[in-house]
Amino acid sequence: MIPEPRPPVAPEAALGPVLDVERLDVERLRIERIRPDRRDTIVSAVDLALGPGETIGIVGESGSGKSMTARAIMGLLPATMRATGQVRYRDRNLLGLTEREWQATRGGEIGLILQDPFTMLNPVLTCGKIIGESLLKTPRRSRDARREEVLRRLAEVGIRDPSVADRYPFQLSGGMRQRVGIAAALARDPRVLLADEPTTALDVTTQREVLALIKGIQAARGMSMVLITHDLRVAFAVCDRVYVLYAGSLVEVASSAALDAEPLHPYTLGLLLSEPSAERRTGALVTIPGSVPAPDDVAGSCTFAPRCRWAADACTEKSPPLAEIEPGRLSACVRVSEIRAEMGALRQRVEEESSSGASSPAAATRLIQVDDARKIFKNGRRTVTALDGVSIEVGEHESVGIVGESGSGKTTLARILVGLEKATSGRIAIDGIPASDWASLSARDQRKLRSTIQIVFQDPYSSLNPMRSIGSILREAIALGEPTIKDRNAEVGSLLTSVGLPPDYAERKPVALSGGERQRVAIARVLAAKPRILVCDEPVSALDMSVQAQILNLLIKLRSERGLGYIFITHDLSIVRQVTERLYVMQGGRVVESGPTDEVLSNPSDPYTAELLKSVPRPEPEWLATAQ
Amino acid sequence: MTANTVLVLADERPETTRRGRRRVVAPLIWLSFLIVAGVLVMAALGTLLAPQNPAAQHLATINASPSGAHWLGTDALGRDVFSRVIAGARTAFFGPLIIAAASFVLGNLLGLFAGYRGGLADAIIMRWVDFMWALPALVILVVVAGAVGSSYWLAVVVLIVLTVPFDTRVIRGATLEQMPRPYVEAVKTLGVPRWKIMLFHIWPNVSPIAVANTCLVFAGSLVTLAGLEFLGLGVPPGTPDWGLMLSQNEALLFTNPLATIAPGVMIVLTAISMNLIGDWLYEQLTSRGAGR
Repeated sequence: MIPEPRPPVAPEAALGPVLDVERLDVERLRIERIRPDRRDTIVSAVDLALGPGETIGIVGESGSGKSMTARAIMGLLPATMRATGQVRYRDRNLLGLTEREWQATRGGEIGLILQDPFTMLNPVLTCGKIIGESLLKTPRRSRDARREEVLRRLAEVGIRDPSVADRYPFQLSGGMRQRVGIAAALARDPRVLLADEPTTALDVTTQREVLALIKGIQAARGMSMVLITHDLRVAFAVCDRVYVLYAGSLVEVASSAALDAEPLHPYTLGLLLSEPSAERRTGALVTIPGSVPAPDDVAGSCTFAPRCRWAADACTEKSPPLAEIEPGRLSACVRVSEIRAEMGALRQRVEEESSSGASSPAAATRLIQVDDARKIFKNGRRTVTALDGVSIEVGEHESVGIVGESGSGKTTLARILVGLEKATSGRIAIDGIPASDWASLSARDQRKLRSTIQIVFQDPYSSLNPMRSIGSILREAIALGEPTIKDRNAEVGSLLTSVGLPPDYAERKPVALSGGERQRVAIARVLAAKPRILVCDEPVSALDMSVQAQILNLLIKLRSERGLGYIFITHDLSIVRQVTERLYVMQGGRVVESGPTDEVLSNPSDPYTAELLKSVPRPEPEWLATAQ
Repeated sequence: MTANTVLVLADERPETTRRGRRRVVAPLIWLSFLIVAGVLVMAALGTLLAPQNPAAQHLATINASPSGAHWLGTDALGRDVFSRVIAGARTAFFGPLIIAAASFVLGNLLGLFAGYRGGLADAIIMRWVDFMWALPALVILVVVAGAVGSSYWLAVVVLIVLTVPFDTRVIRGATLEQMPRPYVEAVKTLGVPRWKIMLFHIWPNVSPIAVANTCLVFAGSLVTLAGLEFLGLGVPPGTPDWGLMLSQNEALLFTNPLATIAPGVMIVLTAISMNLIGDWLYEQLTSRGAGR
């Protein structure tokens, strides 16, 4: 498939000929994975234009090809990948550079910040050494001058403590590590900065600080930047212009403000609508059905057509080109002029819709009572206090949120509730059974507890046994949950149907399922135990935005169908706003605030809650302006 | 395993060559299966397959070079080397097979148990493993053989005892890797009995390592057993056995070199084939669950 010729994507080109050589232009970039017997398309056609000092965002879900695009620009594609097209920078096509030529370009002209600050830094070098070796070799510096320069660089990324230079990466927090990573990426004073999901692995409060830092440095140095993210709100807050990538091709390009005001492609609209709001409770979330396809499966038609509510014959006839709708606005939707009004109306309807929903079932029977629970982990001589006197209670049919960042103890609490850990001290009662120490309970009590409380894990990719079929996973759960059921295969079918999967999925292995589908199977498995309350430990944080909303809707539906109660463990305030009535905010192993969700989120009384609220990404530059 | 199953196994992977390396490996795997199948047939039928009685001495034709009557010549007692190589497959194959199978069962059970239970049980089992590892295997064999008299089956039993700790350690490590995975915790919270979690949930995920490891154990003990027999610590003299032939026919290196080279080549080929099969099985088993 040869991509259609496209108009150059340079909205500001109309202002006059761009003489500045420091432009980065990507033209008709195509990336393929070469296999012995075939070629898989990863990116089918991407055009980007980055002017001097400008910030652009590439937004897409997993499988959209955004990370491979960044790697192609940096010349860091894996050996099995081939890129064709042009990446023009300073009158050169970067795609043709040799490894030797790249060494002068990488870091020196284009810097790269990666997602994971935990693996990006060499663990056996001190931070000072990491930054020091990234500095230019000329001018030659004495040891003292070099150290001084390193400290100056650390100060630039907000680290004023000089002892950090002598510490190893593992001695630093995630946010600090990412700052050191940024300092290393900037050590050779690049003119272009490529940031690939720089804050995805960080806590929400840290995310805002780090983004503000990157944005601040960029402005101070006059660098241009490409930010790669899955979060439209983050892109809107940071970038001038946003490129929306879907299944290996661009579907929409527009300035942040314009895109936020009115998306002109059904996919962008779907992404915006599937984001739960932190500000108010909506009804069921608007979702995009299905999941992201492989580029080759949707070649020769609109990539989004299989999931689009407006898809018509015209959409699948040929691959739609990215066409200019308004000055500076491009969309790959062929029907955009017909459906524009409808899209706008849908968005307005969704945004006006809000459900009171907060009616917490008054005087519900108390099902779970935790009093002054403590958990101390001992590791050699080090002790870590994960829970420091936590008391919570959860009623029958109630949905309760537990919110906090990493290290707050929220996951430890969840694991204690389902018997995977034992509390060091404190009283825990579940449905009247003392559940502080599951191992000491009789088999009958354990069985009773298991049919009362169950847990859904965060990572659907590892919570299903890869060696077993979906059917055998579910049959086992049924045999334990309801041994009286004779026809287990029929029950497997009905469980799969109840979580929105076709019954013939029983034949498949987990590897053949997408992340969202796996999480549905994991939910079906716990439903087999017929629990009254379900602990959901970050159930959607490993999933793509469009799939998150599907799973949240499923959980909401199951609750109304089966009268389930939920304990929602999450760092995401938008999610607790949508699905819980009451809320506990945890920090450092303690509950710092609790109360009805809407009340706490509207009038936080604890400064930490307020800080968390401020950290929820908002699609405007002011979101970052107040950080630091 | 017959030649038929070998064909089926090789045919199952026509276009699935995922990496360039595999293309080279595929015919090698073919060959490995053929060799092992051949040795198996020789071990099972033994004397039936041999053209001549491997024990019959023809004192008129000692140290003969290869000829139509004796394809690999004869040894110092005029015995047909070709027939002895075929008959020698029995001790070469079944000993290691029993060692590999026994240490597979015991090592996997102990390793799973130690890894899953942790705590005191783990500590006791692993200290025992450390202790066994510290023992010099060859010296033990020599001492035991000296005390109760040397015998092939004694060597097999002692090798099982020495190999089990090795398997235990490998399987325990693999089990520990699986333990914190959410799928294990998920079945724990569902109330699946411990032995079922160990055998039906964790073990299938450990199985690629277990199976590959067993092939290595087989190849290793084949070589060790042959070495013991070379030293005269195994089968009684006169038994057709590759290791024994290697040492007894050493003197014939200049008259009929094939008499000592042929059993040596058989040992090496069988061991390499088993190693390659182990590698191949590992990849096949892992791709069953984790492949894409």
